[in-house]
Amino acid sequence: MRVFADYTGPVADRCDVVVVGSGPCGAVAAYELAAAGRDVVLLEEGPPFTPADFELDGARSMARTMREGGLRFTSGYVMPTMQAIALGGGSLVNSAICGRCPDFRLAEWAEAAALERTARSDLDPHYDAIAAFLGIAPTPDEVQGRRNLLFRDGCQALGWDNEPCARNVVGCRGSGECFTGCRARAKQSMDISYVPAAIRAGARVYTSVQVQRVLAAGRRAGGVEGRVAAPFTGAPGPSFRIEAKAVVLAAGVLATPLLLRRSGDLANRSKQVGENLQFHPGTSVMGVFPEPVEPVFGATQGYQSLHFLREGFKLETLWAPPGVLAVRLPGSGLELEQKLLDMRRAAVWDCIASCKRSRGRVRERGRSLQPAVHWRFHPDDARTLGRAVWALAQIFFAAGAERILPGVAGLPDELGSLEAARVLERQPPRAADLVVASTHAFGTTRMHGDPARGVVDEDLKAHDLDNLYVVDTGVFPGSPAVNPMFTGMALARRSALALAARI
Amino acid sequence: MSSIPLPLRQLSAREARFFAAAADAAFPHGTTRDGPPLPSGTEAGVVAHLDGWLELLPRRNRTLIRLLIVFFEYATWVLPAPGRGGRRRFTALAPEQRVAVFEAWSGSRLRLRRLVFASLRMLLTSSYFASPAVLRATGLAPLAFATPVVEADLLYPPVGQARDAIRWRREDLSRPPLHAPLDPHGPLHPDYTEEGASTGERARAGESAGAGARG
Ligand SMILES: Cc1cc2nc3c(=O)[nH]c(=O)nc-3n(C[C@H](O)[C@H](O)[C@H](O)COP(=O)(O)OP(=O)(O)OC[C@H]3O[C@@H](n4cnc5c(N)ncnc54)[C@H](O)[C@@H]3O)c2cc1C
Ligand code: SF4
Repeated sequence: MRVFADYTGPVADRCDVVVVGSGPCGAVAAYELAAAGRDVVLLEEGPPFTPADFELDGARSMARTMREGGLRFTSGYVMPTMQAIALGGGSLVNSAICGRCPDFRLAEWAEAAALERTARSDLDPHYDAIAAFLGIAPTPDEVQGRRNLLFRDGCQALGWDNEPCARNVVGCRGSGECFTGCRARAKQSMDISYVPAAIRAGARVYTSVQVQRVLAAGRRAGGVEGRVAAPFTGAPGPSFRIEAKAVVLAAGVLATPLLLRRSGDLANRSKQVGENLQFHPGTSVMGVFPEPVEPVFGATQGYQSLHFLREGFKLETLWAPPGVLAVRLPGSGLELEQKLLDMRRAAVWDCIASCKRSRGRVRERGRSLQPAVHWRFHPDDARTLGRAVWALAQIFFAAGAERILPGVAGLPDELGSLEAARVLERQPPRAADLVVASTHAFGTTRMHGDPARGVVDEDLKAHDLDNLYVVDTGVFPGSPAVNPMFTGMALARRSALALAARI
Repeated sequence: MSSIPLPLRQLSAREARFFAAAADAAFPHGTTRDGPPLPSGTEAGVVAHLDGWLELLPRRNRTLIRLLIVFFEYATWVLPAPGRGGRRRFTALAPEQRVAVFEAWSGSRLRLRRLVFASLRMLLTSSYFASPAVLRATGLAPLAFATPVVEADLLYPPVGQARDAIRWRREDLSRPPLHAPLDPHGPLHPDYTEEGASTGERARAGESAGAGARG
């Protein structure tokens, strides 16, 4: 295990498999390969964070754990999108929701991407193994807190499906701090779960190293090279080169395509590298209740409703640092301050849409490895998200909210009754009216049975090379309908086992 | 007394004046319907927090934020505030004119204009909520609890430090307690109590507001 302070000069190493990126997908792949007896090197650009490094202040935390200080935006439809830079990748700061991709969606993937072995029954053994490893289980009522249980009550009153979120968490205290790092050490983020297990199994982990190029000749990848990168500033340090019999890229949806393009447009005979970018855009609604909710207590995202999954959206509870949540509150001056005081009686719930028609692409920004992300929000998809906002409004009033703050431009700041909220049904918000953000992204190195139409095959091996694999969520041929991490890990596990059997 | 905290590391005096004016437009002095007044934006240390936060950002983002300041400071030349002298720069406007400028931006029919304003609001709001006093007054301050020592804590030193900074040994290992929900009315995280050091002060000093107090 190496950290920034360990690098005093150029680094050279040799192994069976080099894995780039220690997010959920890369960490699972590294562990499975090491556990299968392969000599593994895991490379991560970000540093490991200890609880002493966590910042409870949302702005400072994002500046340190997220790419571009947490200020990354898409162009086209301007939308913030967040990717982590840390040992453990997104798992350090995410809400730990682990959802299995539903059968109907995997059937759609199979049809659209000519897949033959990616049905739910194919993935379930991998989901099961990961669930057992990470202790994935439904969030217990005792740590839900009132803001999550009100969501349940509202759904029940409406007769809509609802369930506690299954999460990779053991011993949650309900601090609602998943976004800034779990100081209860309950969230089984990769840095405290799969990465230590990979190390125990013999993997060598280098943190604070930025891979800049995949070495390849003909149909074979030979390793990777790059530079040490100082934590937070990214200041370049000594160079490194890792030679390997196989290369596994798990740098994330926005980074892996840039690495491939920079390495001589590798694995891109299909011209699909960096294309087909899809997001789950999300928006939130705040509801104010007559009694205190004390939202400071409760699992970050403890409850969900899959009732409208086939219609293209999912509903969830949400918490984040108050400064991040309050950004969406309307008004200024004393009126705004009153709304801040109301937050003690408030819950915030969000919706994410599958967005089958919205597409984008990622390209390099100048000569850097920073992405220029372009994405267009299709009006049909925006309408779906608008319907989800109306659904949230109904849950709030069914749960007894006295008013909601829909956060939709052109509507009153507050809607005081279900009747008043019907405006959301009559006049569904348009893309331009919504305040949207996204942390779920897919598609830029998509898996496809046809080498002319996709980058990797069903084992996530690049069609164009014999020993290059891509295992991050960029391989999804489309939206997984639910939160993506668990499916990414399941696919990565399957891929790692296939690779381990080959070398 | 000046509302600009000194010394500043990133913000120029002019930029700091802009943020002070903007912070007090968003969060003025006064009494809200529900009791005790909240601190104003400058009292909450918004300017100092922004100064410390800017230091953490990549250079490109810092530049974009500087452009945002210039843009807002002079936008009144094109989109004047109501009342006399509405075309003066933002910091030269009367306090109620500044609030009116904010309302015009946030209520604009143009999404792009709303987004630009949302960026400024994001900076102000997240810095306002860095204040322990604000978090206490709104009932949203983090709670106190012990952080167990897990296997990973024997592997990694705090960011930027050498391996010999790892404080924990195998005998320190503990497990997160099961079935131990926090009490929403329980004690606050020590950094957020009235006696605790304020995050704003530490941000000014450039230190990490480490949340890892182990019990
Ligand atoms: C705030 C937030 C909340 C979320 N909540 C949930 C949730 O509850 N459930 C869920 O399913 N999903 C959630 N997500 C999404 C989820 O975290 C991601 O889908 C998941 O992390 C993707 O995993 P990955 O391994 O593909 O990529 P990442 O997690 O992005 O990991 C990629 C890693 O590669 C590293 N890397 C990139 N480039 C290089 C390079 N050149 N050299 C070396 N290393 C490099 C990165 O630093 C990063 O650590 C959330 C995301 C965020 C940001
Ligand atoms: S809610 Fe709090 S205790 Fe539970 S997993 Fe998230 S950060 Fe950890």
